[in-house]
Amino acid sequence: MANPISPALDALAGELALGVLEGEARAVALRQVVQSQEFAASVIGWQQRLEPLFHAYAEVPPPDVWQAIEARLDVLIARRQVRQVRFWKGTSFLTGSLAASLAAVMILSPAEQRSTAVPQPAAAPAVFAQLAGGKDALIAAGLDTGKGQLKVRAVVLPASALVPELWVIPRDGVPRSLGLINPQGTSLVTLTPEQRQLVAEGAVLAISLELADGAPHDAPSSTPIATGTITSL
Amino acid sequence: MNIRTKLALVEGEGPSKAMAQGKGAASARDELVALLERVAKDDRKALAMVYAKTSAKLFGVCIRITRDHAAAEDILQHVYIKIWNSAERFDHRQGSPITWLCAIARNASIDWLRKYGAPAPALSVMTESLTQDFHGAMDALADYESRALIFDCLQALPSQQQHAIRLAFFDGFSHSDLAASMKVPLGTTKSWIRRGLVQLRGCLQNG
Repeated sequence: MANPISPALDALAGELALGVLEGEARAVALRQVVQSQEFAASVIGWQQRLEPLFHAYAEVPPPDVWQAIEARLDVLIARRQVRQVRFWKGTSFLTGSLAASLAAVMILSPAEQRSTAVPQPAAAPAVFAQLAGGKDALIAAGLDTGKGQLKVRAVVLPASALVPELWVIPRDGVPRSLGLINPQGTSLVTLTPEQRQLVAEGAVLAISLELADGAPHDAPSSTPIATGTITSL
Repeated sequence: MNIRTKLALVEGEGPSKAMAQGKGAASARDELVALLERVAKDDRKALAMVYAKTSAKLFGVCIRITRDHAAAEDILQHVYIKIWNSAERFDHRQGSPITWLCAIARNASIDWLRKYGAPAPALSVMTESLTQDFHGAMDALADYESRALIFDCLQALPSQQQHAIRLAFFDGFSHSDLAASMKVPLGTTKSWIRRGLVQLRGCLQNG
């Protein structure tokens, strides 16, 4: 298998997949995932290499928690129904279930909450995001809190005559457009102070495919091809 | 298939038995794939069946990493909610369902361990768990083809590198946990992990 990254970076990818990295070292590696497609591929390669080890975990009879899981499901389903109705209300494409093929996980670096006495390298985004998953869509994003700029890199997006539009869906369930992004390569999305408030833990990021005309749109016209919840590191 | 047949002969069993076990594993896998497809369509009964089939395995992952019964119980609930929420993302062409489920349980357990976990126990205390993973592997040998290679490659590593990688994978130890457990400076465990991974990769490529 061709692997264009250096052995040192490949080892770092292995450490990330193994889970031994912590603190700043982990943040640096996760940033690499966002910034380099080759590094991201190397992490996936390591995950696949290590995967057979799961077969060696011994089974342990668990306490019966199924009823507790069901109770949580009830709450979850009720909440999701409310959110879906709000999300797609007023759009031409009302669906019962979201067809998102991918969950996006945004990781807010703890650097933001850390003491300001720690100088941050000017070029590195203080906050970053990783959207990984299905085969048809893979997107990475990093937020530079200083500039209020969201850097979104389309690693894989389905070929389409439409263009990808980025949405943030805060707790009220109403999607707000963050504008169109490039179907290939990296896009820089400058956030208004209001948008910056919305890109926070617990909110959802989504990508839908839209007509370029009239963007940013008031609401998505089709189901998102990628969604995910923002969580802090 | 070669690996399985060879192992069956070593163990003194006929190849037919190994093949039957292989077939059993394949149908268990297909069944789990089908259940996850139903879970993706919000089928709660399917999730109940996934729970019945996999909770002992996933609880094994949670308890091994957290070393805390109450935490493992709580994480187990969380893991099935996560499976419910993300089943649509599982792609059976890209991997086996049980390893996908185990990865969810391992990640959730490691998250907990980093936030709330007790300090890493000394290596001497971990001996039992270090032998346990390989016994588990031997039990599973007849029903999974490619696993043999990574276990052989791990066993070929110098013992300290091997222990460090196994504690990291199976017990969720971080670099600093490893240093504390193995009673060596952080730089030492880091270099064991690095060299171990490089050698592991070479071994897997050549195998």
